[in-house]
Amino acid sequence: MGVVEFTDTELMICSAARLLEDRKTVFVGWGMPQVVAMLAERLYTPNLVQVFEFGAIGPRSLTPFVRGTMGGPSNVYQSLQWINMNWAFSYAVTGYIDYGMIGALQVDLYGNVNSTLLGGTYERPGRRFPGSGGGNEVASLCWKTIIVLKHEPRRFVKLLDFVTSPGYLDGPGAREKAGLPRGTGPWRVVTSKALIGFDEVTKKMTLLGVLRGVKVADVLEGMGFEPLLDAKLQEIEPPLDEELRILRQEVDPSGLIIRGERMRTER
Amino acid sequence: MDVLFEGQAEIRFTHPDDFREWVRTHKKREPVEKLMTEREAIARLVSDGDYLAYDFSSLTRGPQALVREIIRQRKRDLWVCAEFTLHESALLVGSGCASRIDVGFMGYGSYIGKVVAEGRVRVFEWTNGSLAFRMLAGARGIPFIPMRNLLGTDTLRHSGAKVVQDPFTGDPICLVPALNPDVFLVHVHQADVFGNARIFGTNLFALEAAMASKKVIVSCEEIIDPSEFRKEPSKTTIPYFLVDAVVHLPFGAYPGGVQGRYDLDLEHIDKVNAITNDQEMQVYLQEYIYDIEDHTTFLEKKVGWKRLQELIRRAAIKEGYH
Repeated sequence: MGVVEFTDTELMICSAARLLEDRKTVFVGWGMPQVVAMLAERLYTPNLVQVFEFGAIGPRSLTPFVRGTMGGPSNVYQSLQWINMNWAFSYAVTGYIDYGMIGALQVDLYGNVNSTLLGGTYERPGRRFPGSGGGNEVASLCWKTIIVLKHEPRRFVKLLDFVTSPGYLDGPGAREKAGLPRGTGPWRVVTSKALIGFDEVTKKMTLLGVLRGVKVADVLEGMGFEPLLDAKLQEIEPPLDEELRILRQEVDPSGLIIRGERMRTER
Repeated sequence: MDVLFEGQAEIRFTHPDDFREWVRTHKKREPVEKLMTEREAIARLVSDGDYLAYDFSSLTRGPQALVREIIRQRKRDLWVCAEFTLHESALLVGSGCASRIDVGFMGYGSYIGKVVAEGRVRVFEWTNGSLAFRMLAGARGIPFIPMRNLLGTDTLRHSGAKVVQDPFTGDPICLVPALNPDVFLVHVHQADVFGNARIFGTNLFALEAAMASKKVIVSCEEIIDPSEFRKEPSKTTIPYFLVDAVVHLPFGAYPGGVQGRYDLDLEHIDKVNAITNDQEMQVYLQEYIYDIEDHTTFLEKKVGWKRLQELIRRAAIKEGYH
């Protein structure tokens, strides 16, 4: 038994990378999701087809990750196809994209996502953020959406300040009633302490696992709502040596994305 | 078709027949030389109050030199299509050029977030996908296009989309209005003097926006002979008759990069994104735009050949960009 040290970001990246399946497709957003896809490609899913909103279909991104490469040459390297935004999203709306990965400022019990503003009104927000980008498309159109966010109680709220991208809206059947494609929706929420899914019947968030050494009560403390608890709660393994080696040495040696709050856990 | 829900946003909308009339009377079918300076192109083709769109991203192949010229000429009351945009929206608002923004993605840096929160620029909520779709409708000559998302969200509420019952499936479907910008700016790898243009690599909606916009300004890294286009027609991104002006602007995407040609200059991009208030914004605009005569002078005095050579050297990936 030893101790492993890592950042909260590294943990989220590793947990998310372990969720992806080989020989499937994933719609990848900017920043952390790009790094998740790179780690997954190198370690778990060499045949994962990555799709980017700016028209890169199936690139094998060059490492190291270079900040600001959304659409740049290293990001779109050795793609199957270079096309444009309307066609990129067409792959999602016709059902070809298995997974989507997005970040969030806030989430609620049904996995609805806010990435637009905090506080105030729409016209005069307390704080304004970049908005949907392609997040609304990803959350609406991919079969399974993975939401990645830091485990801070203030991010898990009863009522979002703004619903940017749809989760299960206000419960079972609501997506279909709104006109969203059948059988889609949030699938996992990856945080820096927990792995969360959604109950098949109620569509409510369900705690599936907690990081080794973290108590369930610590995970739930301060959250604006209480998620359901899975009967077989898993222990999330901290980042493996091999995952950290690839992240730190190959993917992001300058620490642009993987930097974060330091954490430690027993191996 | 019953309208089930209506978003609240104001939209810039052109009746498809009005757009057709514009094309009939303003777009020259015969090839005429359109090569001009950036000063001439912006002065002639961008008017106060215009709706402005551009391709691609702030970091890759964006029309940065043309945007700087708009700021230099102190255009006013522009409505900006902020698709995939990082610092252009901040510079256009900070310079007083833009008063309204259709938001797809409006990052990063804290300046733009602050001025929106202070209510100094009006924003309307869209998504990257819906703005691209609106452009596609504009290019198809149809008044709207149906799409399967925006539904169920506050993004829809604060957009200008409408939800109706789809007459085919009976399900709710989102309709987004066609977008026909007044001006489209695009920086390309190669163009000829008539306006035929080639882009290598991906794009947002280069052809759609060129077709949907009343006025199209192409800036390019390189001017090539018109006969080149007829030798390899599958490489043509935009044909000349959509284009109103061609400006030869090597390094025209700086501080962004152009694929296969030069890398982005992250130090300069960081400098723009570090702007947090009006005073810092004015200092930047003064030093890099107002006090500088044109793009060539900008490159000479503010970037320098040594730096440009370094950026060329860093653009090591050439595959696919020819």
